[in-house]
Parts: sequence; C-alpha cells; structure tokens
Amino acid sequence: MPWELIFFYVIGAASVLCALGMVLAKNPVHSGIFLVLTFLNVAGIFVMLGAEFLAVIQIIVYTGAILILMLFVLMLVDPEDLPSFSSAAPLQRNLSVLLGIVLVLELAAAIITRTSLGAVGPDTPAAIASVGGNTQAIGLRIYSKYLLAFEITSLVLTVGVIGAVVLALPERLGEKVQRRRDTISLAHARGSDGLLPEGPKGETPITVDPQREAALQSAGRTLIMTKDPDAYTRVGVRQGRPDETND
Amino acid sequence: MADQPIWVSFIVAFIVLNVLLISMAYMTWFERKVLAAMQDRLGPTRSGPHGLFQPLADAVKLLGKEDLIPAAADKWVFLFAPVAVFVAALTAASVIPFGGTIDFWGHPVNLFAADLNVGALFVLAVGSAGVYGIILGAWASANRFALLGGLRSAAQVISYELILGFSLVGIFILSGTLSLRGIMVEQSRSIEIGPLHISNWFILSQPLAFVLFLIAAVAETNRAPFDLPEAETELVAGFHTEYSGFRFSLYFLGEYINMIVVSLFASTLFLGGTDGPGSDSYWALGLLWLFLKTIAFLFFYVWLRGTLPRFRFDQLMGLAWKVLLPLALFNIFITALLRIIANGQLF
Amino acid sequence: MGELSTNHFLFLSAALFVIGMMGLLTRRNMLIIFMCVELMVTAVNITLVAFANETQTLNGQVFVLFVLAVAAAEAAVGLAIIVALSRRGKTVDVDDIHELRD
Repeated sequence: MPWELIFFYVIGAASVLCALGMVLAKNPVHSGIFLVLTFLNVAGIFVMLGAEFLAVIQIIVYTGAILILMLFVLMLVDPEDLPSFSSAAPLQRNLSVLLGIVLVLELAAAIITRTSLGAVGPDTPAAIASVGGNTQAIGLRIYSKYLLAFEITSLVLTVGVIGAVVLALPERLGEKVQRRRDTISLAHARGSDGLLPEGPKGETPITVDPQREAALQSAGRTLIMTKDPDAYTRVGVRQGRPDETND
Repeated sequence: MADQPIWVSFIVAFIVLNVLLISMAYMTWFERKVLAAMQDRLGPTRSGPHGLFQPLADAVKLLGKEDLIPAAADKWVFLFAPVAVFVAALTAASVIPFGGTIDFWGHPVNLFAADLNVGALFVLAVGSAGVYGIILGAWASANRFALLGGLRSAAQVISYELILGFSLVGIFILSGTLSLRGIMVEQSRSIEIGPLHISNWFILSQPLAFVLFLIAAVAETNRAPFDLPEAETELVAGFHTEYSGFRFSLYFLGEYINMIVVSLFASTLFLGGTDGPGSDSYWALGLLWLFLKTIAFLFFYVWLRGTLPRFRFDQLMGLAWKVLLPLALFNIFITALLRIIANGQLF
Repeated sequence: MGELSTNHFLFLSAALFVIGMMGLLTRRNMLIIFMCVELMVTAVNITLVAFANETQTLNGQVFVLFVLAVAAAEAAVGLAIIVALSRRGKTVDVDDIHELRD
C-alpha cells in the first residue's frame, strides 16, 4: 500500500478543492475560510517534502497572522459594498478561462518533458540528521551563507510595518482645540460650544448645521462643562443662564 | 524512541484523549471548589459527595437546552467554529511527552502520541489555528457586538501568542532542539553546585522567560485577568453571545482544555515534565510528578481569577507590545550572549 | 500512478497557480484578488520546496522562508492600502478605482 501516494492524493485533492472554493465563493469571508484550509493542506504538503520547519512556520506566520489580518479587513467591510460575482464583461471572464487552460497545458507539457536536474546536492537526509534536523540545518544555512538576505528581510519587514501604519492612519487634522472638554454633551456634536478642531485649510471633521445650532441656543439649554462634579448641585437651573465653565 | 506499530500509537493517543477530556470536565469542578474556598463559601456540594458529579449534571443540563441558531447567522460557519477551537486545543496535546519509552510486557510503548522534531512550534501553530474558531464564531453570529468582541479577543490572542513564542526562544537556545521530548530529556540532567545535585530545570536558568510565559499563557487562553472580551460583567458575552446549549459548552470546554494543555506545556518546558525523584526508575512516578506540576499551574490560573481585577483592553494590548515584548527580546539577547560566552566563542 | 515523485508536486503547484491566476483575472473584489495573489505565491513556494527536495539542497527552503517574510510585509501594506481606499471611496470594487487613469 503506497501510503505516501495516498496521502499525497488526499491532501492534494483537498488543497485544489479548497482553492477552487476560494475562487468561486460568493461571500468573501467564505473565500477567506477556504484559503485558510488551503494553507493548512499546503503545510501538509511541506511536511511530505521533508520541510517540517517550513510547514509550522507557514501555519504560524501565514495562516496564523497574515490571514487573520485579511479576515479582519474582510469582516469589517460592509456587505452592501460587495460587487457582483461576475466580472463586468463576459469577454474578460471567458478570456481568463481560456488563458488558464492554455497555461495549464503549457505547464503540464513543461513538467512532463523536463529532464532531471544535475548532481544531487550536499544536504542529503543523512547530512541533515547529523546536524540535528531540518530546523538546525536551515538555521546554519541562513546565518552563514544567507546572512545578508536575512538582514535585508528584516529591513523589508520594518518598512512594511511603518508603511502599513502610515497608510491606515485616519486623516489627521490640525489639533487646534481651544479648550479641554471634560464632559460630553449629547446635544452637541463634539460636546463643545462651537469650537471644533480645524485642519490646515480650515476644514472641520464634521459639518455643523447652523440652523440646528441656532435652535438649540434659543431653547436656552446651557452646556455645563466642569471638572468638579459637585460644582452644580443646585436644583432648578433658570432658563437662559449663560454657560459657566470651570476650567 | 522506538518504532512502534501504528495501532499502538492509536491506543496511546486514544488514552491521552480520554484522560484530557475527563480532566477537562473535572477542571470545572476544581475551579468552582477552589474559587469557592477563596471566596469563603462552599461551591458545589449537592450532586454527589463533595459535588463530584457536578460536571455530569452540567453536561446533562447543557445537552438538554434548546439549540438556537440566529436567523441571520451563517449556518455552516456557525456550527463549525466551536469545533475548530475544541479540535485545535486537543491536537496540541498530541505532542506532550508523558514519559519515555517503556516496556509493556515485551512491547516497547512510547508514552506520548507523537514526537515531532518541531514539537514546540507545532503547539504554537495549532494554537494560532485555534484563533479562527473565535473569529469565525463571532462573525457567523450576525451580531455586531459579538463581532467586535470576537475581533478584540483575536487581537489579544495573536499579540500574546507572539510573546509566548519569544519567551520560548531562550529555551530553544539552551536546549538546542525544538522537540518537546528533547527539551524534557535535557532538563533531567543534573547540575552540580557543590554538594547539591539540582536538575537542570529551565525555570532556574530562564526565570524571566518563565514569568513572561505565564502572563502570556493566561492572556492566550482568555482567562482572568485578561478576559475582558467575555467577562461576566460586560453587557454582551463577546464572541459567544449567540451560542447556547451544547455549542456554548464546546467553546467553554475548549477554553478549559486550552488551559490544561498550556499547563502541561509549561510543566514540560520549565519544570522538567516527568522529572522528579524516582522518575527514572518508575514511569508511574514520572506521571505523578507531571500531574502535580500541572495541578500547580491550574491552581495558579484559578488563583489569578479569584484575586485580580480585570485589565482594560487597551491596557492589555499596551502591556503586551510595550512591556512584555521588549522584555522577551532582552531575555533572548542575554541568553544568547551567555551561551556564547560559556562556549568560549565570544572573542 | 506509481511512485511519488517530484512531478506530482509540480502538477499540484501548477494547478494551484492556475486557479489563483484565473481568480485574479475574474473577480472584482479587491480583497479576493489579494487572496488569489497569496495563493499564487504559495504555489510557487511548493515548487521551490519540491525542487529542494529533489536536488537535496536546502537553498529552496531558505528561499521560501524569505518569500514568506516578504509576503507578510506585502500583505500588511496591501491591506493598509485597501483599508485606506475603502475608507475614502467606500467601495472595494476594482473597476471603480480609476482616478489615476482619468
């Protein structure tokens, strides 16, 4: 019973089916789930190829971090913004299917007619086991021969992190807040008496409706902004009393 | 490690699975009794002597509840999400070494289900796959609050998973292997300090990593004081708001299994696992030592729950990224430096 | 059938790559296109590891490690761009993003 072959076919079929599910699913979160399943199967393939360190790293990094990030973004997108499944032009869809079939035939031809590569390299299973295993061998290789690439990769990751943070920041407006707001009023948009932070060209983050403002003012409501909760314990505040602020 | 026929491996794995499930059920009893003792009350006493049948009573109650699925929920994902958490927690236990290879009436039997040579990373990997149960359950509930609670939970888990991984790198440097069995064997060596023979437990050589691991483990399993997303005093119950009956119990028990597996993991990595007086002659004594160490960690979990107030979510994340991560990196640096100096390779 | 050889893994990798490519050309949701790109990168990873296994060198596996790291950085930046775009225009449809072209 060629167990290896059976495992390969099971895991391979599962990964291809999950990949198809990812491409064809209507709901994007379902696509994300199928991609996670595909990656778990690919980790199994890596183990079959003798790369067990890569398999666990694939699960920890790719499935356990990158795909979670993608799922976060997917889930926070409003489903009404989703486009319909098919592309705008059926021409584009049919052309892509045609291209896909052509590419698959070309790749199959290339694989079948390839000649085996040259001499067997230095990392035979015996050599790897003598160093202590796959992880140790990869470690030795990275920190001796590929050290420069390792350092550059860390630079790439740092740049990526900075870029992601900068791109995803909300739009920063100027911080010209005139006074500290210690209580939040439910009647007014920012709990202030009309003073909003302004951007460099005078733009404000929220539009203030002047008619509603005037209506509120004329209703005689007073906004009390105070740090001391006991400062206004009197009962029955008269109408039309001006703001009293304790800053 | 001897080569054993595959059916023996299946039997060992089956036994490990059942032991874990029973201990998960009685962990609930243990927690309730210990919390009660800390709060000066009795805890479960009515079902059976000392309330020992309470887990069975809970199981019967939860199985008898109505199985509600919200109308707008995504049915298949809703059903599948708690299973993911439960399965991930159990899978991580398959690499924990409960001993070496013993001779069972002529057949060599391994006292562990599998010995991967990337065992420690495998536990981390399976833990990160378990986060999907939280996220997908939160999303499938079609409930905005559940989604936000679930995303917060997930963010907390992946941040503390990083700390967990980093705190273990010092151990990997000292033991030279990622296999849990290898780490356990490494700790059973003795260091001789004068007349004393102390076992080389990594809690002695990596105290900072131990503290970081404990904090990260508590946060990882969403336990108090890091359980804001699912706390009882919150308005909604976080990602498992819409789950009731048996599905909720899958989440709930998954959390307990996670606790047990992490405690086993901590005992293996820092306290030597089955190492203890007499454990090299009798494998049953080794199991006893492992059991005692695990109970100590589980008691520590319940103790934290009964004592500390909850962290606010931004305090929690700030703690992880601004305090624990630099400490973990510092620990790695110092460990590596000391190892190089000890090997005489510094200059 | 027969013995499991490298060609089996290469076929699998080709299949995944082509599925990813067809998804990339067909779908309009930005996030799904992004996921298809990740699938294509993974297919290439499988090829690299398969060849590393065949020639018994570790360079293929080391390369995959670096590819994983760079793919992580790319995913972070790409998703930040998608978040910024959708925050401005409130849509994730690639056909609606053409301000630079017009």
